[in-house]
Amino acid sequence: MKNSGKMFILIEAMLAVLVIVVAMAMTRENYQGKVHRVSAILPDSDDAQWASFKYGLRMAAQDYGVNLVVTSTGNILTTAEEKSIIDQEIDRGADGVIVQPVFEGNSQENLRETDYKVPVILAGDGGAFELPTVEPDHYALGKALARELMEDYSGNLLGKNLGILARDDGSKALLNRREGFLDGIEEGGATLLWSLWWTDDQEPEQRPENEARVDVIIALDDDSLIMAGEASAANNLRGALVYGIGRSMEAVYYLDSGNARCMVVPDEFYMGYQSMTEIAKALERPFYHMQDMTVSYTVLRKETLFDKENQEIIFTMSQ
Amino acid sequence: MKHKYFGQLKALRPKGIQSTLMWAFSLISISIMLFLGIVLYVRFSALSRQENVQNSRKLLEQTGENLEDYLVSMRQISDAVYYNVIKENEFSSQKQEIQRGMNLLYEAKREDLRSIAIYNSSGSLLAAEPVASQKEDPNVTRQDWFRQAMGRMENMHFSTPHIQNLFDDGTRRYYWVISLSRVVELTDQGDSQLGVLLVDMDYSNIFRMMNQVNTLNSGQYYYLCDSNGQIIYHPRQIQISQKIYSENSEAVAGYKDGAYDEIFEGERRKVLVSTISYTGWKLVSVIPYSTFAHGMVDVKYFIMIMILLMVIMLVLINRVVSLRISRPILELNHSIVKYEAGEKPEIYIGGSTEIRHLGYSVQKSYEQIDSLMQRILLEQAERRKSEFEALQSQINPHFLYNALESIIWMVEGERNEEAVFMISQLARLFRISLSKGRSVITVKEELQHAQSYMNIQKVRYKNAFTVIFDVDAALYSLCTVKLILQPILENAIHYGVGGMEDSGEIRVTGRLQGEDAILQVTDNGLGMSGEEVALVLKGNKRSPRHGSGVGLVNVNNRIQILFGREYGLTVTSEPDAGTSVFIRMPAVPYTEENREVLEKGQGFLRGAGNDKEAQGMKDEE
Repeated sequence: MKNSGKMFILIEAMLAVLVIVVAMAMTRENYQGKVHRVSAILPDSDDAQWASFKYGLRMAAQDYGVNLVVTSTGNILTTAEEKSIIDQEIDRGADGVIVQPVFEGNSQENLRETDYKVPVILAGDGGAFELPTVEPDHYALGKALARELMEDYSGNLLGKNLGILARDDGSKALLNRREGFLDGIEEGGATLLWSLWWTDDQEPEQRPENEARVDVIIALDDDSLIMAGEASAANNLRGALVYGIGRSMEAVYYLDSGNARCMVVPDEFYMGYQSMTEIAKALERPFYHMQDMTVSYTVLRKETLFDKENQEIIFTMSQ
Repeated sequence: MKHKYFGQLKALRPKGIQSTLMWAFSLISISIMLFLGIVLYVRFSALSRQENVQNSRKLLEQTGENLEDYLVSMRQISDAVYYNVIKENEFSSQKQEIQRGMNLLYEAKREDLRSIAIYNSSGSLLAAEPVASQKEDPNVTRQDWFRQAMGRMENMHFSTPHIQNLFDDGTRRYYWVISLSRVVELTDQGDSQLGVLLVDMDYSNIFRMMNQVNTLNSGQYYYLCDSNGQIIYHPRQIQISQKIYSENSEAVAGYKDGAYDEIFEGERRKVLVSTISYTGWKLVSVIPYSTFAHGMVDVKYFIMIMILLMVIMLVLINRVVSLRISRPILELNHSIVKYEAGEKPEIYIGGSTEIRHLGYSVQKSYEQIDSLMQRILLEQAERRKSEFEALQSQINPHFLYNALESIIWMVEGERNEEAVFMISQLARLFRISLSKGRSVITVKEELQHAQSYMNIQKVRYKNAFTVIFDVDAALYSLCTVKLILQPILENAIHYGVGGMEDSGEIRVTGRLQGEDAILQVTDNGLGMSGEEVALVLKGNKRSPRHGSGVGLVNVNNRIQILFGREYGLTVTSEPDAGTSVFIRMPAVPYTEENREVLEKGQGFLRGAGNDKEAQGMKDEE
């Protein structure tokens, strides 16, 4: 009798424990349905050049069930300011942060993975920061541009003068692009006549049309490409051809209108998508280590601008 | 090994009735609960899935209708431009009317349209609304909408979404459109020539419409593809082109309208297809089966919790019920165990009718056993006492004194032979009396004992009476209780013939009567009245005037103790005529075994017939 009583109590206790376990599993399932919040911090986030990147972020957020918040910023001047904004977003409840870092000033500040309780990933340009980064191979972008130029001139740039136009934002990315381009035309025999590193406050004077006349202007970033395109449309470049690296629809317009000859476009959509994907994986799996990733690029020409694949690139720029 | 395994299994089997009941009830109820739970879950899942599919189908139909309405309105614009504007006017002379007509129609639907344009067969722009500068060399004739229209002139053609590559409105923006193109007849200076009417619909309308139905975040989605499987709208369109995601649109484009189950990239899903009229486009709803499961996770956990709670309750109820059923049996068992351990508890009477009956029967059996055992003890004690008394009577000083007196008298009278005879008879008397402690002797020995006694008494009574022994030799070897004749003979002498001078006669006879042996002692003495006869075997304590005082009661008791109540003495008497005492005993042959059985009291305890087998007796062969 006593043994059966003990067995009965044991069975009832086990069943009660099972009920608790199942209830906890049910609660955990519901809790896991909680939507994570990820903040994207982009300088001048409303600018059209972010359209593809933000579209990639949105699509990945949808696929992974994450709530995306694009933090509207003006001009972030220093890394310290950016760091402070990251902290603010985390305090507001962000479960993850995607950052386009700035490199203004001679800051000794560093962004480290260990500084943050939530996953933080850099997009576009990792610089020397100790955080996972999703970015194109900037050197390869420069080199691709050089390759296109070489092809157009059948590899012979002897006697041709070049000018390089780039925004002076202190980033390593533009330096890498420049390096890649210069390495790419090394065999061509062209002469680099000037390199114009412009800033917003010095922009009215620092324009390509104010520089010495060249045969080809190489724009290493989107704003520079738009600037060169505008000048070309206004016939201020004295016949110089424009080749550049861009990512906005405006830049595409100048290509379409013949004011730019060739445009290398990094896959901004994929960059945004992958940044969000890495953050989402880090949120889903506690021990997941976010990886550095390199995204590809596309070379656009006026003749192939409206091909099916290229139309999709333009589509993402219009979102 | 096998035995060890089965032994272990056997060890697991519940041993008690209560455990057996509880396990049986619990297993049955848990099995039923599990079965019900699974059936409910499966049924609920199926119903939920059906409901989901129905809702999707309705939404699909609704969206398809909306799309068709939109496309129909575009067709109507195209028809209106063609039939009401182009056909009614001549291009060279009525260009303004044409432009005005196009403008009216464009303005009526400007939120849905990007542009309306008319081209000639060479791809030159003839008219367009809104007015905008054409791009340099848009290569109209190489664009798909132009080629399709010129390729099949009788039809209207809907293109897949593309960037409009015709006009430069100065905004530096690009627009996605769906082109509706058709070949038209243009009238110019009386000549009829072919041209292409292009109506560019703003893709963002379709985009918005499809986005609205794709707001569910459950994994289910809707997409639009053309009859070749080319995606027109997909919530993951760019991911598909970037190979991050893939879709089975090419296969689905070949499906007819309806619902299909398919497995794509290892995922099971339900696909609903609806064809959009005029275009051949397919509007597709994809419901991954994981969506059904996702919605059912809560239900699954809920059912599991319900089943577990029900099982907890059922196990408790089963225990209570099994205890209630088994308790009376266990109580009964417990009281029997106690009884067997030597205690004298009350046997449990309770529970159902059957258990009560069992309890009553067991109690009654135990009471009967108790009473029988007490009776045995009593009878044995009685027997011991009777034997002791009988033995004691043999060494009654009075009898011994008289016998020895007679011997002295004989010796003094030099009647040595008579003295020797007396002493030998006395010796034989006492030898048989003792019989080495046995209670059961042969009838022959009993007769010898009686003869010795009578020989001694005859001398004492100076042959005042005669004794005749007439016993059938067949009785000699039967069992009898010792010392039964002597007391009767003693009574016959003392109360019968003792007072008579010479005519007293005592006859001892014996014969077989069926399976019984009857010994009879008859005297012709004084006799007794009926009342005295009735009292003679009643065991009254009246002390006899003569003799040992053991009496007929003792003899009767000892016979009945040994052989049973149906045996014993019967006395008949008539005053002044004499008395007869009948001794009835079963005719049991004398063997060591039979003697032992009789002396242990295993034989005739209940008087249960004369069946020698049942009484444990064996004939000596």
